[in-house]
Amino acid sequence: MSTASTTKTAATINGIAIDDTFAEAFGMSGTGIIITADTPKWAMICATVMTGFGTSVIGCGAECGIDCELSPSETPDGRPGVRVLMFGFSPDSLGPQLKNRVGQCVLTSPGSACFNGLDSPKKLALSAGPRFFGDGWQTAKKLGKKRYWRVPVMDGEFIIEDKAGLTTDAVGGGNLLICGRDRAGLLETTEAAVAAIANVADVITPFPGGIVRSGSKVGSKYKGAMASTNGAFCPVLRGAVQSELGPEVIAVLEIVIDGLTSDAVKQSMRVGLKAVTDIGAAKGVTRVSAGNYGGKLGAHHYHLKDILP
Amino acid sequence: MSGLTFKLRDGTSGRVDLSALVPHKLAGLTDRDIAQIVIGKTRDLVCVGDVFVLSGTSGDTLTFVGTTAACDGLGSELESGTVIVDGDAGAYAGRTMKSGRLDIRGSVGDFLAAGLKGGLVTVKGAAGGFVGAVLTGEKNGMAGGTVVVEGDIGERAGDRMRRGTIITRGKTGASAGSRMLGGTIWAEGGLGPTPGPLLRRGTLIAPTVARMTDTFADCGRHDLGILAIMNKHFSATLGALAPKPLPKNVRRFAGDLATAGKGEILVTA
Repeated sequence: MSTASTTKTAATINGIAIDDTFAEAFGMSGTGIIITADTPKWAMICATVMTGFGTSVIGCGAECGIDCELSPSETPDGRPGVRVLMFGFSPDSLGPQLKNRVGQCVLTSPGSACFNGLDSPKKLALSAGPRFFGDGWQTAKKLGKKRYWRVPVMDGEFIIEDKAGLTTDAVGGGNLLICGRDRAGLLETTEAAVAAIANVADVITPFPGGIVRSGSKVGSKYKGAMASTNGAFCPVLRGAVQSELGPEVIAVLEIVIDGLTSDAVKQSMRVGLKAVTDIGAAKGVTRVSAGNYGGKLGAHHYHLKDILP
Repeated sequence: MSGLTFKLRDGTSGRVDLSALVPHKLAGLTDRDIAQIVIGKTRDLVCVGDVFVLSGTSGDTLTFVGTTAACDGLGSELESGTVIVDGDAGAYAGRTMKSGRLDIRGSVGDFLAAGLKGGLVTVKGAAGGFVGAVLTGEKNGMAGGTVVVEGDIGERAGDRMRRGTIITRGKTGASAGSRMLGGTIWAEGGLGPTPGPLLRRGTLIAPTVARMTDTFADCGRHDLGILAIMNKHFSATLGALAPKPLPKNVRRFAGDLATAGKGEILVTA
């Protein structure tokens, strides 16, 4: 087995090698909702719970995350809010996830309300399901072109908009693979990159804290497993498998990015890469790569050489 | 803003039906064609030219000057553009209007915005009975759009209204929201006696109610999230025409319990 990376270097920035490779991402369906509450704290609690267990469509049904916090002036009911994004393979797979997550996590949260968070001509049912909790006492109020449902609950009324915007031009799977010789420094650097990406609108990094340590490849030796560990980027398998890692790398962390538009994903990768190259060298980061499947599966290819800071 | 002006001739009397005089119906017609449109409501042949002096050019705005309460159907079936009424208006102004804007600078008769489907109707003066109501032979009343009346409005506003909003700075007459199926009536000056008879769904809002209907249940004072949404919506869409923002807490009466009972009267004082 070869133990050296076969990937060429596109550039070296501040001592960090940038691979001449690309992130391969997929077309997805996406939606956005706004959750409001009496306080920023409760809006965030509600959004955090609602987006839980939403890391990967492979096992979670949808990829979910918090896009941004919203001030009272930015929300339909003038209260503090949080914008949540959700992504799925198709509108048909996204709809049930939206219904269940809103029904179990937003409807139940004290003082919450739930609104459309994406202007789009395509729509996804938002209130279908949760409004029927009203057992016939739910009522609708149509204001302009928007319909709001009022569902009686124990702390007042749960307000939920009838429809949420839907895009089928979303992108899932933009990514950066950050390699280093110091695991703590690598984590700090990757955290900084996730923080930088959080400032880009219309994207989420759905994994824990925005970071994946278990990058995957398609398929498995085991029947029924859709994905398995990406041996080429597992340092402990260097020498045992066809590895992409040089001897200096002891850990790799990945940032996966989903966005409502391809441009938003590309911009996120750009700011993430800049954050890594700005501070990474001093923290033991040696190289940045990206995950792909040879370019045959995903419609969107983001070449690192095109997004250099 | 281009458009025709119709000035009522001095000494004109007798009712006229002006429902044919809206921009989309006049598009492509010459002044001569317009002058020959029959608007009389009696056996006597009365045409536009007999009653009005026309000036201006065709456009998306029609202005009526010097009109009286005998001028019915102003802005009726309006689909786009603006109709300005510099005077009073008779019955059926804005009837089944779909879009656009009707501004009446005087007062208006019965059945203002009856069966309204969309658009904005404003009235500087008072309005008669059955604002936004169902028309004879039709199933439902107003199904969308917004009506803003600066003065009082008459009895049974919103009769069988389904959607949309009626706002009055003044008071409503008796039985506002009768048989209402949805929508909002917002009376900043107060609701007249017995509002909401057979109200199925929909919202009546006012600081006071002259006499509450017996079949409404007092649900107590509540902080309703929909109020902030309504405040924001009307502020954004109506600007200076928007009603004063609703307070955080209102007293809710649910009813009419003689029927479905999913409507409400919100008392703001």
